[in-house]
Amino acid sequence: MNASIIFVLLILLMLTGMPISISLGLTVLTFLFTMTQVPIESVALKLFTGIEKFEIMAIPFFILAGNFLTHGGVARRMIRFASSMVGHWHGGLGLAGVMACALFAAVSGSSPATVVAIGSVILPAMVKQGFPNKFGAGILTTSGSLGILIPPSIAMVMYSVSTNVSVGAMFIAGIVPGLVLAFLLGLTTWNIARKNNYPRLPKATFKERLVAFKESIWGLLLIVVVMGGIYSGMFTPTEAAAMAAVYAFIIAVFVYKDLPLKRLPKVLLDSASMSAMLLYIITNAVLFSFLMTSENIPQAMADWMIAQGFGPIAFLLVVNILLLLAGNVMEPSSIILILAPILFPVAMKLGIDPIHFGILIVVNMEVGMCHPPVGLNLYVASGITKMGISELTMAVMPWLLTMLGFLLVVTYWPGLTLWLPHLLMK
Amino acid sequence: MINKVLNHLEEWLIAFLIGAATLVIFVAVVHRFLSGVPYIQDYTVRMNLSWAQELCIFMFVWMAKFGAAYGVRTGIHVGVDVVLRKLNGPAYRALVVFGLLAGAVFTGTVAALGANFVWHMSETDQTSADLEIPMWWVYSCVPLGSSLMCYRFLQVAWSFLKTGELPHHDHGHVDGLEEAKA
Repeated sequence: MNASIIFVLLILLMLTGMPISISLGLTVLTFLFTMTQVPIESVALKLFTGIEKFEIMAIPFFILAGNFLTHGGVARRMIRFASSMVGHWHGGLGLAGVMACALFAAVSGSSPATVVAIGSVILPAMVKQGFPNKFGAGILTTSGSLGILIPPSIAMVMYSVSTNVSVGAMFIAGIVPGLVLAFLLGLTTWNIARKNNYPRLPKATFKERLVAFKESIWGLLLIVVVMGGIYSGMFTPTEAAAMAAVYAFIIAVFVYKDLPLKRLPKVLLDSASMSAMLLYIITNAVLFSFLMTSENIPQAMADWMIAQGFGPIAFLLVVNILLLLAGNVMEPSSIILILAPILFPVAMKLGIDPIHFGILIVVNMEVGMCHPPVGLNLYVASGITKMGISELTMAVMPWLLTMLGFLLVVTYWPGLTLWLPHLLMK
Repeated sequence: MINKVLNHLEEWLIAFLIGAATLVIFVAVVHRFLSGVPYIQDYTVRMNLSWAQELCIFMFVWMAKFGAAYGVRTGIHVGVDVVLRKLNGPAYRALVVFGLLAGAVFTGTVAALGANFVWHMSETDQTSADLEIPMWWVYSCVPLGSSLMCYRFLQVAWSFLKTGELPHHDHGHVDGLEEAKA
């Protein structure tokens, strides 16, 4: 009963379009003042202590690191490198687009920014070469979302924050699924291009490849700094994020020279306000999950599921559908922060691996960003391709179906996800 | 006039906090590595940086509270806009104003709760674990930040009623793309 009141209230408030953080907070306050005996003081305490964990502080650092390198110049270097490597195969620039998106998304950490950065450089070039507009649009919308699966990923930090799963393990677990998905999206592109005989680029010489590689390596080393640092035990994830931010700053200012020092305050300000927005959602989500736990809702749901005879297979199917529906209307961080604390205890009771469950959620978020009616990537892509949402939806279909197929594989084949972390973290 | 000062203060504060926190953690990590190097370690042992982590957390908590207020002004807070997109005319206006006022009510309540909490805490002599500064200094960002946020919500609501415009943040903005087209 209480649970349904909480959820109905939350959904109603969210639908008014107010910030998600505010609707979470208001739900908790309303519930506290009218329906429960939980003392207000304990809630007040949560408001202050909600984000006082060092692990959470990885989020602002990663955002800062990403923002230093989210620049047209970095996008062009990645595209150049990608096209010198794969441009001569079927799909040419399109295939290069998938690869460039994967690289740029991993470094910048923002899906919409990836779609814009790679898209505004590569789309005009593709159209000039005679690719249909919808082909490029489909590639960009879907490949742009790769960033939240390939580490370092803020969505994964969010999951770790709300479930206490190790950030390092999540990052390592994301590598294989991330590469596989990038490969599958590339394969889809290759296949369509082969059937339609789209233009290919002349094969790059070894020297061209080397030059392009040398240009882009500085940005890509960011991933090495983070993953190497965490895996070797040199840094905690938060320290790795801070080192990544310093590294990205040095690269952007002194090596790439994309960022004049006088623009530094602007980058800091943008990163700070983006982080503050996410931290504010976290504060309120912590409050909300505190309310959930004190009302015993996750526990009750777990018991109910088990009483209904739900096995892991049925449960994961329900989780997928729920997350895809939520992905329709909300952005990844909020979904993870609201739903992970509720679903996680059930998953644990059913014996699902916490890391596998986390990757499954992240892949769901990826699909959610690209599918109609409200995927954020769709909107951004529609902006740069000048295509309507419904037209774009059709264009995205082949890649979206690939992603859905991949989602099923990730859901029901834990080995794909768990193989690498088990190998490395034994 | 006061608004202008407040705007600049807000912007400088949060930009400074994120930059400084990065430096603090960077220095602490470098310090830890140097402490393992012979000869140099003789100098590094004299510096104790165990408080770096705590300072970083406090800086980010402050950044989060004031940044959230700045975010209201720039429209960065994400919401579910499926319904809003379908509406227009008075229904749209009413819903937007309702959302903004709800934000003001929530942040106002938090500011009041927070002020009360900080007041009680200032009567104790709780200090933080490493830096040993009074905890109520640290927590005072909640009433301060929330009041500012409440003020920002009212400000945005007021300007929406007057001009019909809402601040909007472009999540896909990337610099340095213009040169590509040239």
